[in-house]
Amino acid sequence: MQIDQSHIRNFSIIAHIDHGKSTLSDRILESTGTVAERDMTEQLLDTMDIERERGITIKSQAVRVTYTADDGEVYQLNLIDTPGHVDFTYEVSRSLAACDGAVLVVDATQGVEAQTVANAMLAMNSDLEIIPLINKIDLPAAEPERVRAEIEDSLAIPADDAVLASGKTGVGVHDLLEAVVYNIPAPSGDPDSPLRALIFDSYFDAHRGVVALVRIVDGSLRKGQRIRMMATGTETLAGEVGCRTPVETPTPELACGEVGYLVTGLKDVSLVKVGDTVTTAEGAKADPLPGYREAKPMVYTGLYPIDGDQYEPLKEALEKLSLNDPALEWEAETSHALGFGFRVGFLGLLHMEVVKERLEREFGLDLLATAPSVEYHVVLRGGEEISVHSPQEMPEPGTYERIEEPYLKAKILIPPDYVGAVMDLAVAHRGTFVTMNYLSQTTVELLWEIPLSELIMDFFDKLKSNTKGYASLDYEFMGYKRSDLVKLDILLAGKQVDALSFIIHKDKAYDRGNTLAKKLKDIIPRQMFEVPIQAAIGGRVLARQTVKAKRKDVLAKCYGGDITRKRKLLEKQKEGKKRMKALGNVEVPQEAFMAILKVDD
Amino acid sequence: MPHDPYKALYLHIPFCAARCAYCDFHTKAVKPEARAISVYADWLVSEIRRLSREGELGSIETVYIGGGTPTHLGSKHLSAILYALGVSMHLTPEVECTVEANPESLDERLVQDLWALGANRLSLGVQSFDDELLGRLGRIHTADRAREAIRAAQTRFDNVSIDLMCGLPGQTLGQFEESVRCAIELGVKHVSIYPLTIEPKTKFEKLLRRGKLELPDDDLVADMMELAERCLHEAGMRRYEVASYAYPGYESRHNMSYWTGKPYLGIGDSAVTMTQNAERRMRVQDGCVIDDLAPREMHAEDLMLAMRMTAGIDAARADEFRGRLPGFDDKMSELVSRGMIEPHEGGWRPTHQGWLFGNELFESLLDLSDDE
Repeated sequence: MQIDQSHIRNFSIIAHIDHGKSTLSDRILESTGTVAERDMTEQLLDTMDIERERGITIKSQAVRVTYTADDGEVYQLNLIDTPGHVDFTYEVSRSLAACDGAVLVVDATQGVEAQTVANAMLAMNSDLEIIPLINKIDLPAAEPERVRAEIEDSLAIPADDAVLASGKTGVGVHDLLEAVVYNIPAPSGDPDSPLRALIFDSYFDAHRGVVALVRIVDGSLRKGQRIRMMATGTETLAGEVGCRTPVETPTPELACGEVGYLVTGLKDVSLVKVGDTVTTAEGAKADPLPGYREAKPMVYTGLYPIDGDQYEPLKEALEKLSLNDPALEWEAETSHALGFGFRVGFLGLLHMEVVKERLEREFGLDLLATAPSVEYHVVLRGGEEISVHSPQEMPEPGTYERIEEPYLKAKILIPPDYVGAVMDLAVAHRGTFVTMNYLSQTTVELLWEIPLSELIMDFFDKLKSNTKGYASLDYEFMGYKRSDLVKLDILLAGKQVDALSFIIHKDKAYDRGNTLAKKLKDIIPRQMFEVPIQAAIGGRVLARQTVKAKRKDVLAKCYGGDITRKRKLLEKQKEGKKRMKALGNVEVPQEAFMAILKVDD
Repeated sequence: MPHDPYKALYLHIPFCAARCAYCDFHTKAVKPEARAISVYADWLVSEIRRLSREGELGSIETVYIGGGTPTHLGSKHLSAILYALGVSMHLTPEVECTVEANPESLDERLVQDLWALGANRLSLGVQSFDDELLGRLGRIHTADRAREAIRAAQTRFDNVSIDLMCGLPGQTLGQFEESVRCAIELGVKHVSIYPLTIEPKTKFEKLLRRGKLELPDDDLVADMMELAERCLHEAGMRRYEVASYAYPGYESRHNMSYWTGKPYLGIGDSAVTMTQNAERRMRVQDGCVIDDLAPREMHAEDLMLAMRMTAGIDAARADEFRGRLPGFDDKMSELVSRGMIEPHEGGWRPTHQGWLFGNELFESLLDLSDDE
């Protein structure tokens, strides 16, 4: 069905986690008859198990809904579901760029929360029309009036006309759809200009190659047309175009203003990048759409199979995941302690956790992850510069001129009460204060320059806990800066464990070494012999702890009725030990390798 | 299945005067005159008669009446059971016949009855000679009562054993040594030393979870185990298994049968029966098969159990295992290099370290049951 641009609405639903975004999306699909009730599964748009379980969205989605409004006209609504985490800020910004408006969902019992603020800011920065929606009004603890006032005060968004709704009962869904039709502007692209389509997500399909989700900004995109990705310069044929309802429905073309999918037939997802502009191949002189950026890993970690036999399966699994995840970078790495594995680059910590979990769950692998690291630039004596992604690669002290590390511009939004706490935290994480702005009476914006390596330690968790969850954090890469960094090594029973080494600022090395040694002492179980733990820089020992030798380990009673039980207990213990890594003859539990992250200063 | 004849007979008495704070055994606190007791005792007697008719008791070499608290049954019921045994099998003096007893329910009269009906070994659950610790354990006897009971037992029985516990809440090394010395002075012929283990669903486990139970640390418990070994050794006893000490010739033959792979027959609630032939070993409890082992698993289990004993395995048994368990010699050398066992008279026996780290030793031996 051809539809006029004035009858298209492209919008997104944004919310703090658990405020009911997915349930609300489900209700929209249901009430517009897009999905029959019997086909409903919870969180319809989150297709990955991990997304459903964690209640988070990792991949973007776009669903087309046909809605007959109270004015009797038929509208095409495109609901774009966006990822909801700071790791995917860039992806979110591209998804939002494909929209003209956003529904901001706020829980009627919880009120405005950190991510509400962060998401609202993102939406405002994308010049989106925002429709506030107060959700869960069916709950006895709902306080819609208080929440309405909060939205106005802290976000400066007029909320007089906020939609009152309940994703659970379906109340207010009609009001929402009407508000979408009347408040969100229709697309205003030029249908006669050369094609410009924004790619806001892409994924690999084994049968059809890379499929992109696109928003047609100008012109139109026909099936069979020769197209070109402007940033990567890749040319191909538009194999199929269409929309999702949510099943894929091919259409002859995607018209100006529409949202849909594009089958490229390309075999490599890195040729179809999020943020890139699709245009026609024949001599089009269009300018690319603004905002394109290369997705670049920010965080690196070593992933090792616990069972050495799983090296090849791990490699195959990474290859498979990479098909769909252009941000994932990896190369082989060897550790004396852990054997053969891979150094893998991620967008951020959540991306890392999600990938690790998928590898373990979907591919049945048992993995050990080393402490996350960033990319350091080391200028060697003689002027040559090398990139270092892991502590193992760090050259010996004395062989280099200087080390530079990545810095971020971090934007932190908090209520004024927490300014002091956040200042202390940022300083403790080697932050440099830039400026502070009062956005409203209830929201302060702090700008800091902070090393990425500090941010990936435990900054975000601490920021949350020090501000009772109110803080929201956004950051962007700023550049490299010289820092006084050292490699801190950990020795167990006199042997250096490469997988436990990390790079740290010199001023923090002693404290960190000390607390880490203590922490490891608690984590490493007592063995049959004494295990000294040392933290050292280039052979100089900073801290020492000892895991005392255990003195006994024996079940005393073993008579007729006990034998089966005790034997099974021993067998179970043996299984448990497989989850430990034997370093030399020291059994080290996996948590030891993550302990570096969780050291409380 | 056709099976090798049972060599050991265990009778379970699931009754006690009171449940102790650490106990997870199958037992119930009931009054001695309770009907449940006489019903159960009658049933045991009929079971003994049935199994005898079926020919299962013909090769029994040891009998053990355990619990629970067998002496809680009282003279009448215990006598009936022993009498039934006497007429159902060859309860000759060569058959070791142990009755477990608790100090509060053992008096001279009962001692005489048990002796007269063929019991020749008594095992008393003393646990400690410290009244405060006994109270904490929920034992209902005192140290004095325990001494009296032991003396009463010794009026007839030469072969008297007691259990002692270490690693008790608030127990000091001195207190424990006191109890060990007491046992030696009283002249018991056999002592079992059990470190306290906290079992699920016991009173102690609940207290521990609520942080209301202070246990001595593992190092102190190890000190206690070593102290017991030293003191008892000086007195002339020998540790012949992880927890068992005896003067030479007073080792429990019944318990040794568990560690030497002899088939045993259990009668009564929760009692386990091990039935086997050359191809298969099964354990049955309350009518359910709880274990079903193939030959390889059987042999690995036997080796593990053998290494509980101080004597380990002699040259002849080593040859048997060598023929039955691939990788046997490699495993033995590995364990020797780890200091867990040592060569002895053509075979191997556990070292001091192999004793204290039995779990590591046993776990490692179980590797031999795997195919690889």
